[in-house]
Amino acid sequence: MLILTRRPGERVVIGDEILVTVMGVSGHTVRLGIAAPSGVPIYREEIWLAVKEENRAAAAAAADALPAAPLETPTEDSPEDPPPVDS
Amino acid sequence: MSVTFQSIRFGTVEIEAQDVIEFPFGLIGLGGLRYTLIDRNPGTGFLWLHAVDDPALALPVVSPFQFFSTFSLQIAPEDRERTGIEDATGAQLYVTVRATPNPLDITANLRAPLVIQEGRGYQVINTNEDAPLQAPLFALPAQSRIAS
Repeated sequence: MLILTRRPGERVVIGDEILVTVMGVSGHTVRLGIAAPSGVPIYREEIWLAVKEENRAAAAAAADALPAAPLETPTEDSPEDPPPVDS
Repeated sequence: MSVTFQSIRFGTVEIEAQDVIEFPFGLIGLGGLRYTLIDRNPGTGFLWLHAVDDPALALPVVSPFQFFSTFSLQIAPEDRERTGIEDATGAQLYVTVRATPNPLDITANLRAPLVIQEGRGYQVINTNEDAPLQAPLFALPAQSRIAS
């Protein structure tokens, strides 16, 4: 891994089209500005990892893994025995 | 005109060419540039988003609105710029689903919905605070329990 030391306002250039600017440093927080071509997706790592994991888990489903018939959403307030209705 | 592709789950699948959805950036961590929606479980709300060029790549999806009445999508600014989609009005929305042996454990990923518009699809990050990665499909969400 390439490790660089940068000061606020300084930049790193990745290829010819991606510019990463250190916008500021405050305590343990670094603010980065990223300029990249619109076709380059940019994610916070934890979101990217989590979504990747969900996508992979979803894609692992077998053909028969889904309910074959509609399921009713269980409701908690529906009583087991409906009260008698006065007619 | 029709398009035929192979599926390890469903064998030979034939679809109309117009039903091919281009995903210019693929799905996060999975890739796949062309998908289509297959309805193998009519009436259940579950569809398969199936890659046209990879027989093994398919994900169950549902419409978020069918299962989550309070669902809303706020597209992250970087995704708005990348996809050119400002908001999802007029687009088809789907969320990926984790299938489980017990249907009551099935969850949907509300954090990264799929936005499909004019034959193109994008997986975007939902910046709405109330959009979990694993939202139970068949349980009442906590908010509606309180509200009702």
